[in-house]
Amino acid sequence: MTTTIVLAAQPAAVLPSREQMAFTLAYHIILVPLGVVFPLITVVMEGIGLRWRDPVALKLARRWSVVMAVQFAVGAVTGTILSFEFGILWPRMMGRFGDLFGIGFGIEAWAFFLEAIFIGIYLYGWNRLPPRLHFGLGWVLPPAGVLGTFGVIAANSWMNTPTGFRLGPDGRPVDVNALTVIFTPALGYEFWHFMLALYMTAGFMVASVYAVGWVRGRRDRYHRLGFTVPFTIGAVLAPVQLVVGDIATRAVFRDQPAKFAAMEITWVTRSHNPEVVAGILTADGRTHLGLSIPSLDSLLAGFSPTTVVRGLSSFPDSTRPSVLDANFVHLAFDVMVGLGVVAVLLAAWYAAAWVRHRDLPRSRWFFVGASLAGVGSYLAVECGWITTEVGRQPWIVYGFMLVAEAVNPVDPRFIWAMFAALLVVYAVIAFFFITLLLRLSARWRRDDEAHIAEPPPEVGSPYGPRPRTFPAPPASPLPPGGGGPGAGGPAG
Amino acid sequence: MTAAVDDLVAGVLLLAVAVYSTAGGTDYGAGIWDLLIGGPRRHPRVRALIDHAMAPVWEANNVWLVFAAVVAWTGFPILFQSVFLSLYPLFTLALLALILRGAFFAFRKVAAAGRAHMVATLVFGAASVLAPFCFAAALGAVASGRVGAGGPVVPLWQACLNPTSVMFGVVALAATAFSGASFLVGDARRYVPPSPAPPMPREDLVEYFRRRAVAAALATVVVGGVALAVLGAESPAVVRGMVAGPGLPFAIVAVVATLAVAVLMWRRVYLWFRVLTVVGVGSFVFAWGFGQSPYLLPGRLTIEQAAGAPTVQLTVLVITLVALVLVVPSLALLYVLDQRNDLESPDDGGGASPTGR
Repeated sequence: MTTTIVLAAQPAAVLPSREQMAFTLAYHIILVPLGVVFPLITVVMEGIGLRWRDPVALKLARRWSVVMAVQFAVGAVTGTILSFEFGILWPRMMGRFGDLFGIGFGIEAWAFFLEAIFIGIYLYGWNRLPPRLHFGLGWVLPPAGVLGTFGVIAANSWMNTPTGFRLGPDGRPVDVNALTVIFTPALGYEFWHFMLALYMTAGFMVASVYAVGWVRGRRDRYHRLGFTVPFTIGAVLAPVQLVVGDIATRAVFRDQPAKFAAMEITWVTRSHNPEVVAGILTADGRTHLGLSIPSLDSLLAGFSPTTVVRGLSSFPDSTRPSVLDANFVHLAFDVMVGLGVVAVLLAAWYAAAWVRHRDLPRSRWFFVGASLAGVGSYLAVECGWITTEVGRQPWIVYGFMLVAEAVNPVDPRFIWAMFAALLVVYAVIAFFFITLLLRLSARWRRDDEAHIAEPPPEVGSPYGPRPRTFPAPPASPLPPGGGGPGAGGPAG
Repeated sequence: MTAAVDDLVAGVLLLAVAVYSTAGGTDYGAGIWDLLIGGPRRHPRVRALIDHAMAPVWEANNVWLVFAAVVAWTGFPILFQSVFLSLYPLFTLALLALILRGAFFAFRKVAAAGRAHMVATLVFGAASVLAPFCFAAALGAVASGRVGAGGPVVPLWQACLNPTSVMFGVVALAATAFSGASFLVGDARRYVPPSPAPPMPREDLVEYFRRRAVAAALATVVVGGVALAVLGAESPAVVRGMVAGPGLPFAIVAVVATLAVAVLMWRRVYLWFRVLTVVGVGSFVFAWGFGQSPYLLPGRLTIEQAAGAPTVQLTVLVITLVALVLVVPSLALLYVLDQRNDLESPDDGGGASPTGR
């Protein structure tokens, strides 16, 4: 009854605005792990190449730079879109809370600036900068990425657990404490949880490319190195993530009880609350189809079966996620946790093989699993993001502003039209991006096959000869042994 | 105290807009010239130069836009709300252009020659026209008083499409084309084309953009004058601020610097022209900004009225200062390396891109 009234009172633009925001964020988040972490993996690989004079490592680092250039461009533009969508879709939230919401983004903007500058220098400096300098400048990128992530997560965690102000008579915040606005209760766990997720995802994703090659029988040093370095990063962090995720869930139980109730589809407030794995909540408050483990949820949330867990029904209808939202959150949460556990198992396999014979696992099945680890990680990131965002509904700033109050009250057809245009544009971009990656990969493989027939000298060439004075047109870095324009590639 | 802080934050915002107009504008200008080249087979050498010049810097240049948006909503939340509630169609168009432009610039560099490359080039060029036009049109809507404090005061289409906003858009196209051409002259003078023999020698590339820079500089001054007249009819107070108030010094500098570049280019004196270009284009923005101070929305919303929480304003300034210490030297390094020709595509190692090169 109440629900219908609330729904009827919602501006019609809420639905398309939410859908569009969700879509553009879900798209952008795909680019984030590699945007933040790829530089680190690449610089580490470059370091290996320089330290042990390993041309294969340098070749990998350089090829990854080419991929990084395109992926960073797409990430940068889709990120810019988001900051303008705040204004187009949620102008009233920006008008009321823009100053508080903006502090985190102030940090992010400058960090992103450093990233954009140094990515330009790093990517385009391969040919002519001295190797050591190039390597050193590359090290600016990883911390800049972390700082930027911190800023965005600070803004997001403020939406989840807003602190650092009180509302003045006109509804605008007063008595603002900037530090408390940044360091909200949710910041700690959201930040570490997301940071680990980014590193795991990027590691597994890059590794999975070479795992596919491995499964197909390409087992040379190039594939071994391309797999080992990033996969090790992911494997080391997977168990850490399990612990951090557990801590984060308990913190959500404490700080954001409505979200927690949605994550666990708990309807009635009670102790000895069962953990429901999978399952569907219906409007009458009953769960179906799930596997219910008695008291486990209470035990996990408070280390004791007597821990009382608040149920969704204890919140007024208009202040908690709808049943539909709750089911969505619960499913996303379960998928994320499940994928996290699988990642730990994969990491354990990897570690066991290393302990037993100081080598990669021999089983083909391990590499089949590793091939899927990249996509699986992306799925987990999306699910985690759905959990935290949909779990906050119907609030945009928890407890202070509803999504319906924040929205731009325009004709919904405008938003639908914009959304449709964005869908088309993003689809085209995805098509180009994927085509390009496949083409690059195919070209590089051709180059490598050409090179095998005709072994070195390619040592040292990843940086190319560096004529300090120009003009030097014909002397410019032509691939030794690769030959001719259209071949060669960064290997040369 | 707080008023001074608010003014400083407004200054940071204006600075960000001005820098974006020059840095981002130079890239838009390059895109406009790229579009004007026409068919994919015409002047491949010119296109290669544009790619070469833009690739390492365009992302950093574009960050100024994000920064301007963040300062706007953090420093002046109600301004941000007002502008977007009144002008969201302009920003929607600009956004679509922005994303198409960025993505297709990256793609066309790596896409193989042929249809895909042609489409990417066309999209990149068209978006380079649309984006600066829409952004400047939004400024025009603000300057002509069509954005109300807190929400729309005139019908949507009138706010977005009116004489001043159209003229501001045209000025933006002229000014970006001008700075694009001017910087491309500098890039052409240092350009070492990749290996295969160039069908167009370096001197011709310089000539190509030299003529265009002169024409665009003159066009900028002329359309700037027309825009001022149009604005004067619609919002006389702002124009008074620009020609008889705090905006005047900037207006003079803008015109003098732009004409100076035209003269230098005409006489083939390649000294100081880049600095003068930046000063000229930036001063146009400053002339407008100071002209309408202390109003953010002329006649409707002052800097002080729009300012966010005082602690946040201070925080923004502190963050800005700390970041400037980090960003300015980095940016300088990027530009120096770029201008010294130390930056080239990582994929150029062996003619790896079978694109239009």
